Amino acid sequence: MLAQLTAKVLQTAVVLLIVSVASFSLLKLAPGDPVTLMLGSEYSQDTYDDLTRQLGLDRPVPEQYVTWLGDFVSGDWGQTYASRTDIFTFIVTEALPVTLTLTFFAILLALGVGVPLGVLSAVKKDSAWDVAAAVFALTGTAFPSFFLGILLIWFLAVKLGAFPVMGFVAPWQDPWGGLYHMVLPSLTLSTYFIGMIVRMTRATMVEVLEQPYIAAARARGEPEWRVIWVHGVRNILMPLVTIVGLQLGGILQGAVLTETVFSLPGLGQMLTGAVLGREYGLVQAGVMLTATLFILVNLLVDLSYPLLDPRLRPRS
Amino acid sequence: MANGMIDHKAILASRLAAQLGRRSLLKGFGAAGLLAAGGGLLPGEAKAQQAGHLKIAALKHIDTLDPHFTFFLSAVQVINNIHNGLLKIVYNGETVTFEPDLAETWDLEDEVTHVFKLRPNVKFHDGTPCDAEAVKFSLMRVKTGTPASPHAWKLALLNEVEIVDPLTVKLHFEKPYAFLPVALNGSTGRAGTIVSPAAVEKYGADYGRNPVGTGPFKFVSWKENDAIELEANPDYFEPGLPKVEKVSFMFVDEASTAVAALVSGQIHGMNDCPMQLVQQVKNIPSVTLYGEIEGNYTYVGMNTRKAPFDDVNLRRAVAFAINRDTVIKQAYFGLAQEAYTPISPPMSGYFDPDIATSGRGHFFDLEKAKEFRAKAANQDPIEVTYLMTERNAIGTRVAQTVAPMLAEIGITVKLELIEPAAWVQRMKEGNFEMLDFDWVADLDPEETLYPEFRSDGSWNYWGWVSTKFDELCAQASVELDVEKRAAMYHEAEDLLMDEAPIAMMCHLPIYKVLSKKVEGFEYVPCDLMNLHTVSLA
Amino acid sequence: MTATDTAPTAPRRAGMMRRRPFFTLASLVALGFVACAIFAPQIAPYPPTLQSIDAMMQPPSAAHPMGTDSYGMDILSRVIHGARYALLIGLSSVLIGAAGGLVLGLVAGLSAGWVEWVMLRLIDSILALPSLILAVAFIAILGQGVDKVILAVGLSLIGPFARTVRADVLQVKVQLFVEAAGLMAIPRLAVIRRHILPNVIFPLCVQITIRISEAILVSSSLSFLGIGVTPPTPDWGLMISEGRGFVSFAAWMSGMPGIALATLLIALAIVGDGIREEFDPKLRTGR
Repeated sequence: MLAQLTAKVLQTAVVLLIVSVASFSLLKLAPGDPVTLMLGSEYSQDTYDDLTRQLGLDRPVPEQYVTWLGDFVSGDWGQTYASRTDIFTFIVTEALPVTLTLTFFAILLALGVGVPLGVLSAVKKDSAWDVAAAVFALTGTAFPSFFLGILLIWFLAVKLGAFPVMGFVAPWQDPWGGLYHMVLPSLTLSTYFIGMIVRMTRATMVEVLEQPYIAAARARGEPEWRVIWVHGVRNILMPLVTIVGLQLGGILQGAVLTETVFSLPGLGQMLTGAVLGREYGLVQAGVMLTATLFILVNLLVDLSYPLLDPRLRPRS
Repeated sequence: MANGMIDHKAILASRLAAQLGRRSLLKGFGAAGLLAAGGGLLPGEAKAQQAGHLKIAALKHIDTLDPHFTFFLSAVQVINNIHNGLLKIVYNGETVTFEPDLAETWDLEDEVTHVFKLRPNVKFHDGTPCDAEAVKFSLMRVKTGTPASPHAWKLALLNEVEIVDPLTVKLHFEKPYAFLPVALNGSTGRAGTIVSPAAVEKYGADYGRNPVGTGPFKFVSWKENDAIELEANPDYFEPGLPKVEKVSFMFVDEASTAVAALVSGQIHGMNDCPMQLVQQVKNIPSVTLYGEIEGNYTYVGMNTRKAPFDDVNLRRAVAFAINRDTVIKQAYFGLAQEAYTPISPPMSGYFDPDIATSGRGHFFDLEKAKEFRAKAANQDPIEVTYLMTERNAIGTRVAQTVAPMLAEIGITVKLELIEPAAWVQRMKEGNFEMLDFDWVADLDPEETLYPEFRSDGSWNYWGWVSTKFDELCAQASVELDVEKRAAMYHEAEDLLMDEAPIAMMCHLPIYKVLSKKVEGFEYVPCDLMNLHTVSLA
Repeated sequence: MTATDTAPTAPRRAGMMRRRPFFTLASLVALGFVACAIFAPQIAPYPPTLQSIDAMMQPPSAAHPMGTDSYGMDILSRVIHGARYALLIGLSSVLIGAAGGLVLGLVAGLSAGWVEWVMLRLIDSILALPSLILAVAFIAILGQGVDKVILAVGLSLIGPFARTVRADVLQVKVQLFVEAAGLMAIPRLAVIRRHILPNVIFPLCVQITIRISEAILVSSSLSFLGIGVTPPTPDWGLMISEGRGFVSFAAWMSGMPGIALATLLIALAIVGDGIREEFDPKLRTGR
């Protein structure tokens, strides 16, 4: 057990090392540098050299990397070049909670819509319901989220005035305001999850409904809703939890666009901005954080994998 | 000149007034009338009653709130609400003038000595006094501070800051420095902005995230990608001001999202309005759009250091082949004004009101363009690469509009889009053939021409060299007579236009948007967003 | 999803079109887009980048059935030509991703010891980097344009492909015929070519059909963020992005390409899903 744990930790460390080297070199390969961007258009060569020296960007790239790595590991994440924001505060206490909140509500919404829809399709397998749910799910997954976001803003927020257009309000400070501001963004992001959850739910539920204990429950004369919503759903919970976890690992994917359209100060917007602004330290820290998140969640998924895929369960 | 009888300040004032005038009288009267009416309604209050939370969308990048280190006007908009300067820019609807701000009076002892008497009892937000020491500290921080301020050149002629008494400072200059008010208040950095010495001491390089001034609003917080929050300074020295309790500058990358938020009433204004959204904003009944043509110009720049644009005739051909009407309609949504030469309409005394019929500068004349094209060394079809980027709201529009026009003179344009960081780099390295660019927020012909096109200037990305141009500009900068000075700048401009390292395009209006609920906004045509007089209905 | 096939048999496959009406419909739609892409110059009423100062931002009319954009370019023509770019970008980038993934997945799946360990960590690392961010970084290095977008999206897809290929290789590797071949001392490359590749390629092809829509989505997202293809290329993502400033009074400018993009993506997703359910051996045995 200890050996396994050591191996895992070692693996994770190596992956993070590769990720950090890769993102650092990718960024350094890209033309343009933060100083040029910071200076706007009006500057002199002296100012440029001065700033470059101040930021330590005049030193050889490998040295810069090693310095960064040392600082990062020892907990000093540094500051952004242009606005001198503390990177740790920015990422961990400002950006991450936004993206987590957005993803949390999106997944909640997706579960609320996706699970009943999936169960319904499984129960009424091959009916018109089933087909409609499947098409709905696919439409949701495939619909470009930035386009959906624009449509939602103009129809629900502007024309109907039903929701705020943009911005983030922390739900832990103002529960109602927070929820209210999250409706449109989480709706936009959730379409991406709904499809997956419907399919997952349907597939597992079909299998569960063929199990002997379902037949037994029916034989006991339990009402059909109980058979399905209690005995049935109980057995798809674990795989659902796993798929939610998996999605959390890839949290940034959809969040980038949703955050841009709704002007939310989250990780996705931060990272794209950081890449374009050549904020090396910020990109590094952001990438490390998302990579760690990804690895951790995958570890959990690995552990629960037998539960996710019934085929991996020992068959009797 | 040295007899002390000359009223230097009057010369300065008339010169600046001449430069910055040209505002319609009608408008001036309108604004004055409003002010008078407003004054009559004001109760004689001793202390301001602040109410309301004003939310402004900040569409443009804000780098730092340190006035001595910023490179962006969008940052100055916020800085100006937190700090005061020795002087301030005042606009009466007709002319822009510089008036004492933290100073009570501003006089010239002789042509090289400026005397400022400060307002008594002004305190910084941290409680420390704003006195002669603080003024000296701030000016020296710009001139010789470490790290070096990029705006140090504006005070290069300053020899000494003499503290006469706690409320009097004398600035001794090496030469008559008529450019001083512009240097203190102009372009991006605010060299004449006074910061709290105690706060600089305390925060060091992080002052830009913890600014402490004397202004109408105190800095509260700055959350990256989210918002900058300010709150009213109850001890502000102008009685009855400010009127709103809180101000948020909310960062919004997506301008169309900001407009949607404005329509739905979620925010009260925008610190900019990208041109493609102007029509849409004008159609919103609940908001007011502010904006006039400012001191700026846009152009297509050509790299004179390498083929094909090392050929002056080819550059001239380009300059006359661009149909400005079409560019204005398609790229600038009909909102810009055709530019024949760099000197902008607000610089009166220097701007030629008859420029359109004078034959000077660049304009659309396809016949002329074809004549120059026929003189070009390379008579074969030429392919050039035009670098574009999504740098601002206009982004790639100019390039897309100009490209088909150059086909008319046998130049095939290949549009190459790269992201902003790479674009800036390639422009500064001179690794391009053509691209479009602009110079904005200029108050004086000196700053609109000389640093941009000086042969060894670091902003001269086009690699154009003309010693005659350099000489003319250098002479003009010490000439006090407006007419003579204007003649020199016109000659310099003509040289520039004739050799055409750039093809002139347009002068642009710069916009601000505020909800009609916001009352009392004083528009200043220098891309400012001063909110001290504003109240929320 | 409509599959009732507890025991699928070859003859039944012929009836797929009939059993799956949505699949059929979606295939027709997708084919329609393919036709648009191939015959774009013939079908489109105007050249896709022809500007007209007299016809800027016109609503849909007889002359311009989908209206015009802010340069006076005909949106219908641009949408039709846009199909070309969408499919070109989607297909080429997926092929790049699949090729890279195949190589990486094969090496990882077939190697052992420290090579395998390193390969696995490499794949993990690629997966751990968020792919849109990866694409942005590649664009920053390569520059913008159709070819660059194809490369950037393709490179960012290598990770997911490598993972599925490796899983398939592992599955094949434990099967008897491969072990037997190994025991019979048949050269390694021959084993790969004869036994492993055929078993890996098929699920890979299924993956390719599924991922085309993802690739198109990523590329249009890049264009939307302003770091994709070069205007005035008639790219849907770019058109949506350009038109979003005019939504309130010229909704057709981003609406038309938006509908085209959504329709194609949904059609491709349904087609891909149908193909997977019908042909994926894993799903078949699972039922």
